[in-house]
Amino acid sequence: MAKVVPTRSEVLFLFRSLLRTARQFSDYNIREYSKRRTIDGFRQNRTLSDPDSIASAFSHGKAQLEIAKRQAVVYSLYAPKVKSIMDLKPCNTV
Amino acid sequence: MASVTGTSISMASFKASLAPSSRISNVKSVSFPISGKSFTTLRMQPARFRISCAAKPETVTKVCEIVKKQLALPDDSAVTGESKFAALGADSLDTVEIVMGLEEEFGISVEEDSAQSIATVQDAADLIENLIEKKGA
Repeated sequence: MAKVVPTRSEVLFLFRSLLRTARQFSDYNIREYSKRRTIDGFRQNRTLSDPDSIASAFSHGKAQLEIAKRQAVVYSLYAPKVKSIMDLKPCNTV
Repeated sequence: MASVTGTSISMASFKASLAPSSRISNVKSVSFPISGKSFTTLRMQPARFRISCAAKPETVTKVCEIVKKQLALPDDSAVTGESKFAALGADSLDTVEIVMGLEEEFGISVEEDSAQSIATVQDAADLIENLIEKKGA
């Protein structure tokens, strides 16, 4: 099956959507992991030149985006009341 | 005959009055180019003010901070309003990350098309100012 090779702007749009979706997570750990994973994943695949591998990486990214969007909704339904300590503003104590 | 002498006297007085008036007209002709020059500079100044008042310097410094942190540049590297992202060693992924960082820092949301058109630090600062204004209005 012939895969669709994404254009440069489509790839950048996917990158932005993944980062935006990652921001919506209320849990600190998952939020940071999603951001880190998208940045690492895109950087690793930066130098791909084979159109087949580019297309499969792009479709993998789109599938991950769908999963992330769904999970953001699910996590927000069951968000714990106590926030992670990393989210709290630092207060300097002696 | 008396009338002839009378006219000659009046003519002499007329000439005398002419001389100072000619001097005055000379002064006028000298001052005219001066007023012309000042008029052109007045016209240029508003245009210059508009460009420099586009983004506050604090905004530009904050943007420079975020850019330096993102690209892991040393603290003493020269990042000014005119530096292009490509010249600082940022590729398109870096640019997207920088725009994301700016969105979080300033609490704004950048459109897709505007994000593609950002090329220098000044562009980013101007865009941020516009969005903050629109949000506040």
